[in-house]
Amino acid sequence: MASDVMIEARGLTKRYGAFRALDKVSFEVKRGEVVGFLGPNGAGKSTTMRILTCYLSATDGTAKVSGHDVFDEPLKVRESIGYLPQRAQMYGEMGVLEYLRFVAELRKIDGPTFKKRMKEVVEVCGLGNVLGKDIRTLSHGFRQRVGLGQALLHNPPILILDEPTSDLDPNEKAEVIDYIKEIGKDRTVVLSTHNLSEVEAACARAIIISRGRVVADGGLDEVRARGGRVRYLVTVDEKRILEAGGSFLEKPSAAPKAGEVQEALSKIEGVLSVQEMPSDDSAHAFMLKGTRSTDLRAEIYSLCVQKGWLLLAMNREVQKLEDVFKTLTRRDDAGARGGKVAKAVDEALDDEEDFDDEDLEDDDLENEDFDEDDDEGLDDEELDDEHDEEAEDLDEDDEEKK
Amino acid sequence: MATLSIAKREFKSYWNSPIAYVVICISLFGLGLVFFNLNGGFWEANRSSLSLLFTYMPRALAWAVIPVITMRLVAEEKRSGTLEMLITLPVKDHQVILGKFLGAWGLVMALVFATALYPIFMFGYWNLGSIDSGPVLTSYFGLMIYSAAAVSIGLFISSLTESQIIAFFITTVLLFFLHLFGGAMPLDILPENLEMAAAFISFDTRLSGFVRGMINLRDVVFFLSITILCLMGSFWALERRKWA
Repeated sequence: MASDVMIEARGLTKRYGAFRALDKVSFEVKRGEVVGFLGPNGAGKSTTMRILTCYLSATDGTAKVSGHDVFDEPLKVRESIGYLPQRAQMYGEMGVLEYLRFVAELRKIDGPTFKKRMKEVVEVCGLGNVLGKDIRTLSHGFRQRVGLGQALLHNPPILILDEPTSDLDPNEKAEVIDYIKEIGKDRTVVLSTHNLSEVEAACARAIIISRGRVVADGGLDEVRARGGRVRYLVTVDEKRILEAGGSFLEKPSAAPKAGEVQEALSKIEGVLSVQEMPSDDSAHAFMLKGTRSTDLRAEIYSLCVQKGWLLLAMNREVQKLEDVFKTLTRRDDAGARGGKVAKAVDEALDDEEDFDDEDLEDDDLENEDFDEDDDEGLDDEELDDEHDEEAEDLDEDDEEKK
Repeated sequence: MATLSIAKREFKSYWNSPIAYVVICISLFGLGLVFFNLNGGFWEANRSSLSLLFTYMPRALAWAVIPVITMRLVAEEKRSGTLEMLITLPVKDHQVILGKFLGAWGLVMALVFATALYPIFMFGYWNLGSIDSGPVLTSYFGLMIYSAAAVSIGLFISSLTESQIIAFFITTVLLFFLHLFGGAMPLDILPENLEMAAAFISFDTRLSGFVRGMINLRDVVFFLSITILCLMGSFWALERRKWA
C-alpha cells in the first residue's frame, strides 16, 4: 500500500462473553509517528495490541497493519511488526544470544544480515555485557532491553510496545524511554503505558482509551485541550499593601484577607473556580481555573492594582496531560469503589445464593443461566450509557470535585 | 523451517534443565532393574529374546517419562507468557504445535534408542545367545509410532490447561487406562461389546504384535490416527485463545 497509513483500526470490538473489552475502537497511525496508547489498567490497551499482532482475533471490526489485514494475512502483519508484549516473557533457560538467534531463525534472517543487525541492536539496546548470560539471571531492566532487541532484530517499520517501562526502576525507565525516542526517529511506534510523563517525553500523539473506547485521540496539545482548562497560580502579599505614591506599607488593618481576595478573584469574568492553596505566613496563594480560550492575566493584574494588593507571582499553565487523563478515565473505577460498592457486594452475594439454589434444583439450571445472561447484558448497557454521559459532562465532574 | 527451529529449541531446552537427565537416568535404571530382576527377569526366562524389555518399556514411557516431558509443552508457555512472544513471531499456529511435538518426541526417541545398547552389548559383545533381529526391529518401529501417539496425547492435554501439574496427572491417568483397559485389567463387569471396544483401543494389545515381530497395518493406522487427531486437537486448543 502506497499510503502513509501504517496501522488502521476500524471499529474493533472484542467481547469476552458479555464483557466488552473493546468497543468500536478506531484509529490510524501514520508512517513515522510515535503514538502513546494511554489508559487505566484493564481499559483495553493490551487487547488492542494483541489484535494488531494477530495474537487475538477481534469479535468485530477490521484492522490493517502496513496494508495487510490482521485476519487474512497474519504472517505478513507479524513480519512487518516488532512486538514487545507486556512484561516481555522470554525463555529463561536460554542465553541472550541464543534467544536472539532463535528469533532470527523464525524471522528467516540469514547469517550475515543477523550479524549486521546484531551489531546495531546490541548498540542501541546496550546488550554488550549480557549476550552470554541466561535470560533468567537478568534484571527486569535488561530483560526489557532483550525484549526490545528481539523486536528490533528484523528492522521492522512498525514497533508495538506494550508497557515497555512497567516493573522498571526510574533510571531504567528513563533509559528505555531514551531508546524509544532513538528508535522512533525512523519508525512508526505505538507504545502503551499508564505513565503519562513518558508519553509526554517520547510521543507526539496520544490515544486515550477508557473502558474499551477511544476517548481522546490527537496531538498532545490537542489532547490536553480536551480538558479545556487553564490554571492560574496567583500569590498576593498578605501583610503589605500598595500606597498611592508607589511605596508599600505594612498595614494590618488594610491588609487583604484571604476570603476577600478569593471572592474578588472569583468575580472576574471567565474564572470557573478559585481555590486557596497552602502558603507561608506572608502571602495568600490561590489556584484559579479558567477556560482555555481566554487569558485572564491582565484582568487579575488590574484587579490587584485597583485594590492596592501586592501581586507577588502569577503563572498561567495549560492543564497537564495527567489531569486530562484523570478526567477522561476517572469513572472507570466508579463501580469498584465509592457508592456502588455496597450494591455490588450485595448483588454478588445474592448471585452466590442463587448458585446454591441452582445446585439444589438441577432441572432449572439451564433457565437460570439464561436469565443471568440477560441481566448481565442489561447491566452492561446501563454502564455504557453512564459512560457516554461521562464524556459530555466533564464540566459537571469538575463542579463535583470542588 | 520454522517448525524445525521450534523443535530444536524445545529439544535443547530439555537439556538446559535437569528434566532430561533425571528422566532418562531414572527410567533407564528402572527398566534395567525390571528387565533383569523382576520375577527372575531375563535370566529366569533363559531365552535370547528382548520381548520382556519391549513389553515393559511402553509402560515405563507412559507412566514415568512422557507425562513429565509433555506436561510443560504448552501449559507452561501459556502460564509464563512466553507463548505470546512465540506466536507473535511470523510463525503459523500449526508450526508451533508440530515443532513442540517433534521436540518432545525427539527426546523420547533419544531415550528409546538409548536402549539399543541392550541388544548391542548383550548379543553383539557378550554373546549371550543369538538373537532374532526381526522382533527387535519391529519393536523399535512400534515404539516409535506408539510414542508419537502418547506424546501427542500429552501435548493435547497440555494445550488445554495452564497448569503443568494438571496436565501431568491427566496425561498419566489417561495413558494408564489406555494401557491396561482390556489388556492386563480385566473388564468382566462391562457388557461384552464394551469389553471388546476397550480391548480394541488398549495400547497393550496394540503393541503385542510388534513385540512378536509382526507389523499389523491396523495397529500402525491406529497409532497414527491418534497422533493426527491429538495434534489437530492441540492446534484447535491453541487457536481457541483468539476467540475465548
